[in-house]
Amino acid sequence: MSAAAAAAPAVPRERPRLRAALQHAAFALALLAAWEIGSRLLGSALLLPPPGAVLAAMAELTASGELVVALGQSLLLLVLGLAAALVVGFVFGVLIGRSRIAYWTLSPYFSALFVIPTVALVPLVLVWFGFGMGGRVIIVLLAGLVPVLLSVAAGVRDAPGELVEVARSFGLRGELRLLIQVRLRAAVPLLMSGMRLAVGRAVVGMAVAESYLRLGGIGGLIRNYGSSFQTEYVFAAILPLTLLGIGLSALVGLVERRFQRWQT
Amino acid sequence: MRDPEPAAPKIRVDGVAKFFEKGGGGDAGQVRALDGVDLDIAPGEFLTVIGPSGCGKTTLLRIIASLTDPDAGRVLVDGKAVDSPSPERAMVFQSFGLFPWKTVLDNVRFPLRVRKAPLSEATETAMEFLGKVGLADFAHSHPHQLSGGMQQRVGLARALATDPDILLMDEPFGAIDAQTRELMQEELMRLWQGSGKTVVFVTHDLDEAVLLADRVLLLSRSPGTVRALIPVDLPRPRWDYDVRALPGFTDIRARLWSMLRDDLVFAESHGPGPATAGAR
Ligand SMILES: Nc1ncnc2c1ncn2[C@@H]1O[C@H](COP(=O)(O)OP(=O)(O)O)[C@@H](O)[C@H]1O
Ligand SMILES: [Mg+2]
Repeated sequence: MSAAAAAAPAVPRERPRLRAALQHAAFALALLAAWEIGSRLLGSALLLPPPGAVLAAMAELTASGELVVALGQSLLLLVLGLAAALVVGFVFGVLIGRSRIAYWTLSPYFSALFVIPTVALVPLVLVWFGFGMGGRVIIVLLAGLVPVLLSVAAGVRDAPGELVEVARSFGLRGELRLLIQVRLRAAVPLLMSGMRLAVGRAVVGMAVAESYLRLGGIGGLIRNYGSSFQTEYVFAAILPLTLLGIGLSALVGLVERRFQRWQT
Repeated sequence: MRDPEPAAPKIRVDGVAKFFEKGGGGDAGQVRALDGVDLDIAPGEFLTVIGPSGCGKTTLLRIIASLTDPDAGRVLVDGKAVDSPSPERAMVFQSFGLFPWKTVLDNVRFPLRVRKAPLSEATETAMEFLGKVGLADFAHSHPHQLSGGMQQRVGLARALATDPDILLMDEPFGAIDAQTRELMQEELMRLWQGSGKTVVFVTHDLDEAVLLADRVLLLSRSPGTVRALIPVDLPRPRWDYDVRALPGFTDIRARLWSMLRDDLVFAESHGPGPATAGAR
């Protein structure tokens, strides 16, 4: 971006896709093989069920509709919780980023929230909000909130004051317009890394809410089958959860690239 | 200076002073950046501003742009006091000030869109000015894909896009290599000549100050006051002959240098910091 930057057009950083896909597939196959061998050596379906058994359990759960319903419940909870984390995180992030007083008075509490394990919040949330949908959404919100909040705060605080000046000099007026059109826009790379972190933590919060607050969704499945030691069903429930996490991260990555073409 | 001018000034800087709190908190004292600056700039005039670094050149320009409020005095444009920024006084920034996430076209369209121009009209105008600075082919590039000189051409196109009466330029070519800078000086003169626009152009380059100017304003070392206003009566257009070889050019340059040199020598031996005002 500096004056010294060459006039060369940005080189797209695309790895050869086919090769990457092959590498992924090869690694997954090796993992499956190791799993199969390991489970045979152990000889215990309780400790490590063979992949075939997990696949069968998955097929069964899918056929009975259990898995689909659970996934739907989990996804709804995740989306609501993340949306709430975004809204609350933006509001308090802007406040903390733009006001010294808000920074000094509020940020210790959010720092505390960041280091408390989400499970530890369950009893409090239960007492305050009950174990209905509201309480579960609150758990996901609390899990995902701080990364959003901190990245928004850092973004609007550090956003280049110079570009705000530029916008003002061309007649853009009002703190809100400057915030949205310049400060937040300049902070997008930071916001995106915050979002990535928030998604991961929200998935954990979701599993916690579903297995500790009231059984339901994927977390409920894991807890249910875990307590009756049906390990292959536990695996069958964990797998889609992992895929969900990966899928959401990929989604954030997609948005990130859409916004970040200007960054090289 | 306070006598009525023959023609009403485009910009009148009236007793402007500006103080800054010294950094580090507490009341460590104040820096006097500008003190009692009076200045009239005629319509269509090209004024260059030169002075030792830290003498308040940027501060003066920002006050004319209403990006900073003066602590005393005021700025009048067309006889009316101004108090908020406007694309009528368009700025060109030393570090270009382009929005990195916007394309070149979007950057130039920005002031037009702020003024609520319809998209098609804004696009047409923006493309026209991109054409004038030779960058129509780069409309859909992002700033980081352009060289420094090209980026500043975008900055110039953006400033010109709203057809402002006044152009305020803060060392616009300071971050650009010497050869490109000469090209851009010529381009700027071509764009300005006959446009009727009033330009205030801050520079630390003596040659540039004389080459471009109708008048050169020399600010004294901190706190900045008007040290001298020197007319440059060299024939225009100045791009089709070697201005620098004219005796008129070298005379003015030498005069400016001898005055500037005193302040620079003083700054070297006393270090930066507030100096007593009115020493001369
Ligand atoms: N925002 C600010 N806060 C504190 N001091 C400032 C600020 N802006 C400028 N100054 C001080 O005012 C003086 C003039 O600065 P400036 O106008 O940038 O000078 P120039 O552009 O001539 O180099 C300097 O001493 C500088 O340190
Ligand atoms: Mg300066």
